[in-house]
Amino acid sequence: MKLIYEKSIKGRIGFSMPEDRFEDINVKDCIPEYALSKEKKELPEVSEVDVVRHFTTLSKINYGVDTGFYPLGSCTMKYNPKINEKLANLEGFTFAHPLADIKHFQGSLELMYELEQLLKEITGMDRFTLAPGAGAHGELVGVLIMGKYFEDSGKPRHKMIVPDSAHGTNPASSAMAGFKVVEVKSNERGTVDIEHLKSLMDEDTAGIMLTNPNTVGLFETDITEITKIVHGKGGLLYYDGANLNALLGIVRPGDTGFDIVHLNLHKTFSTPHGGGGPGAGVVGVKNHLIEFLPSPIVCKCDDFYSLEYPKKSIGRIRAFFCNFSVLVKAYAWILSMGKDGLKEAARVSIINANYVLSKLKPYYRPAYDRFCMHECILTGRDYKEYGIKTLDIAKRLMDYGFHPPTIYFPHFEPYAHETIMVEPTESESKETIDEFINAMIKISKEAIENPELLKSAPHSTPIRRADETKATREPILKFEEK
Amino acid sequence: MQRGMKNTEKSSLRYIPNTKEQQEEMLKEIGVPSFGHLLNSIPVGIRLKSDLKIPDKISEQELFEKIHKISQKNLNFIDFKPLIGAGSYRHYIPEVVRTVVSYSEFYTAYTPYQPEISQGTLQTMFEVQTHLTRLTGMDVVMPSIYDGASATAESVLMALRINNKKKVLLSSLLHPHYKETVKTYTKSHWIEIIEMPQKEGSIETEELKKLIDSDTACVVVQNPNFFGGIENIELISNIAHENGAIVILIVIESLSLALLKSCKKTGADIVAGETQSLGMDLNFGGPYNGFIASKENYIRQIPGRIAGETTDVEGNRAFVMALRAREQDIRREKATSNLCSNHALNLFAINAYISLLGKEGLYRLAVLNTKSAHYLRSKLIETGKFYGDDYPFFNEFVLRTKDDPKLIREKLFKAGFLPPLKVSDFFPALENNLLFAVTETLSKEDLDKVVDIIRSL
Repeated sequence: MKLIYEKSIKGRIGFSMPEDRFEDINVKDCIPEYALSKEKKELPEVSEVDVVRHFTTLSKINYGVDTGFYPLGSCTMKYNPKINEKLANLEGFTFAHPLADIKHFQGSLELMYELEQLLKEITGMDRFTLAPGAGAHGELVGVLIMGKYFEDSGKPRHKMIVPDSAHGTNPASSAMAGFKVVEVKSNERGTVDIEHLKSLMDEDTAGIMLTNPNTVGLFETDITEITKIVHGKGGLLYYDGANLNALLGIVRPGDTGFDIVHLNLHKTFSTPHGGGGPGAGVVGVKNHLIEFLPSPIVCKCDDFYSLEYPKKSIGRIRAFFCNFSVLVKAYAWILSMGKDGLKEAARVSIINANYVLSKLKPYYRPAYDRFCMHECILTGRDYKEYGIKTLDIAKRLMDYGFHPPTIYFPHFEPYAHETIMVEPTESESKETIDEFINAMIKISKEAIENPELLKSAPHSTPIRRADETKATREPILKFEEK
Repeated sequence: MQRGMKNTEKSSLRYIPNTKEQQEEMLKEIGVPSFGHLLNSIPVGIRLKSDLKIPDKISEQELFEKIHKISQKNLNFIDFKPLIGAGSYRHYIPEVVRTVVSYSEFYTAYTPYQPEISQGTLQTMFEVQTHLTRLTGMDVVMPSIYDGASATAESVLMALRINNKKKVLLSSLLHPHYKETVKTYTKSHWIEIIEMPQKEGSIETEELKKLIDSDTACVVVQNPNFFGGIENIELISNIAHENGAIVILIVIESLSLALLKSCKKTGADIVAGETQSLGMDLNFGGPYNGFIASKENYIRQIPGRIAGETTDVEGNRAFVMALRAREQDIRREKATSNLCSNHALNLFAINAYISLLGKEGLYRLAVLNTKSAHYLRSKLIETGKFYGDDYPFFNEFVLRTKDDPKLIREKLFKAGFLPPLKVSDFFPALENNLLFAVTETLSKEDLDKVVDIIRSL
């Protein structure tokens, strides 16, 4: 597929501009010579129809949830309702300037306030910031709050406990906030090793970052014990909300002892992933941490919404307020589902994942042979002897029309390696899931009978298997005319 | 309503296809007598005892009416011509841009982990990387992070990694939200952050010389600055480089790049910024899109996702995520950043916008912005009601008034303009100063109307 630069024809344009009626003004008199570019920047020259066809073609070589089943574990690729897109694009919202007078954006603040009330109830937390643009952004906020809390108490703490099964963002966020990362091991059941945790938790440890259900799709059954251990040493519990979908209406992280919670609105709350974003990684805290929230937060007083600057705030983490349009979509989804619908989403996501697990476990040995929550962790390890890597299985799935699950994550010895993490979500019908299961079973047979078919897969995609190593070894990161 | 009816109602949710019967069938296949069995790992004591206190579901029609009504509680912004910018600029967005970002193959996809079925996203990343290298003149670009403020903070962290020094000089004319974000992000690094003073709309280079020393990691300068002023970056770069400091140039009104000299030629080592101006709605401040560009030699210190060109097994050109070893999913706590996503959808907007305007269009639009802003400023000065420092600017400028700025803003508002920002909101010492932004969305008639209002005060 040609690049837009390769379609460029000198003299073409795809835009009509208001006439320049300031003929007596010369740019050279406005901008000093030292600052002015001598030449125009070499951008493509194409017409409007060229642009539309370019992107329509690009859309045909991209796979999204609307294309088909996208069981990317840990990412909760559920259906993104169309009405929510329309609502987020209402002109009353999209034209709102963030530094206009506060009385002029009462609607935006009302929506933020109302969303916060719903999220508080869903999670059992006391107050939220809606500022973070993604889960990792929320994590950074969370760990900065933890740091500030201990600093404020006069006894700063320097370590953070992160399970070996955690998302890579947890240790990376902790490091950004200046914490030394200490890894707690998983036990043979796939959950936090309590004895190990006890030996690690001390009074120089700020707390633990925990995902629950964790990244192997299992509920941390000992959560109450974990809370006791961490709180017992004065530490805080951070909840990574990547997997909240399984718990909607069943368990609230706030009720299980968590002090800080981040939610990925683009996962559990149905807002689209946008090819990587924008999402929103809102953060909720318990009362004792509200004063540390990033500024500003929304408050309501006598039917007037205003912005508040918490007095010991960690500070700003972005310009302006939030990824507003993402919030509109999450709010709309919660209202569309209602309290019973949220519970139904959790229920069906759990049934769907366990159905996949039960059907596929004879073919892809699971990391842990237990019932799972909203996602299951299979492995491709038994096909190694046929020269097949888990990657080959994933690539072959594309030939059957599916987006592959997450592979090689989580990764920790001895239980979780060569992992295939399947998260069907509640959006998928039994028929679709059965088709996926059948494809996976066929692939397991191909792996033994015709391994070359997998090793050279995919065969029917817009491009064949791409050399990712080359892109790093000899990076070409921009187009240059030959 | 009858009980039985209510139950049927509950089970039919348009976003959840599996019927109760199918769910039961699946539970049977799983081999459990009931759904509750699958929850055995959750201690009963911590489960919710009652329903969540949130409303029952509403229909799509009710939802539309409810949220539409909330949106109408905002000012009907679309009917007001904006004289305010300050980091969020209203430009006209061609309809094609909106069409492109509405393609669901783009917006319902995720991070392009599987290049074979993600070429649309990856090629767009690569194309935007190319656009931004050409606009900035820099060698490499990481095209997407949350926003310009977080890009600025990440670029400061990048500089600290590169030279391990402990002092950061920030332009006092860096957007105040960006300044605060840098402070939040660098809190655990125990660095000293010093603001370089400004005089008459530009950084005071003599003061910079006094503040800078061999322990200075980087000098962070916004251009055009918060007051719209165009800095002499070459002068600042020379001083910084003499002291071994990295020059970080921050660009927030990114349309200016079409007109201004290549950032690399002016001595910038890193450029970080915001691309909202290139095809994104104001959206009450987000989502926007930040980027970081740099010289070739810093390539492995850049955080975030970058697309690279490679080939597939048949030798065809293909795009993939490149230089992945910098990232958190591989390096965990040793990664360049915790970034795990980007604002890829906004890259489609930028790509469509830049492609439509192209070489000529973007240049002419930048020229039109410059001229419109200069026209308004000179006419306002002519009224005798405004005066101000005479610094070079792009499409924003600060003027002082002897009249009541509150009254001026009210009058402009009543006449259908979104009034300029009170500079004292961010710089309390600068009372009676207004920051005007002028984009192509204001016609010559609009500008003349502004001038008439001021004249008649």
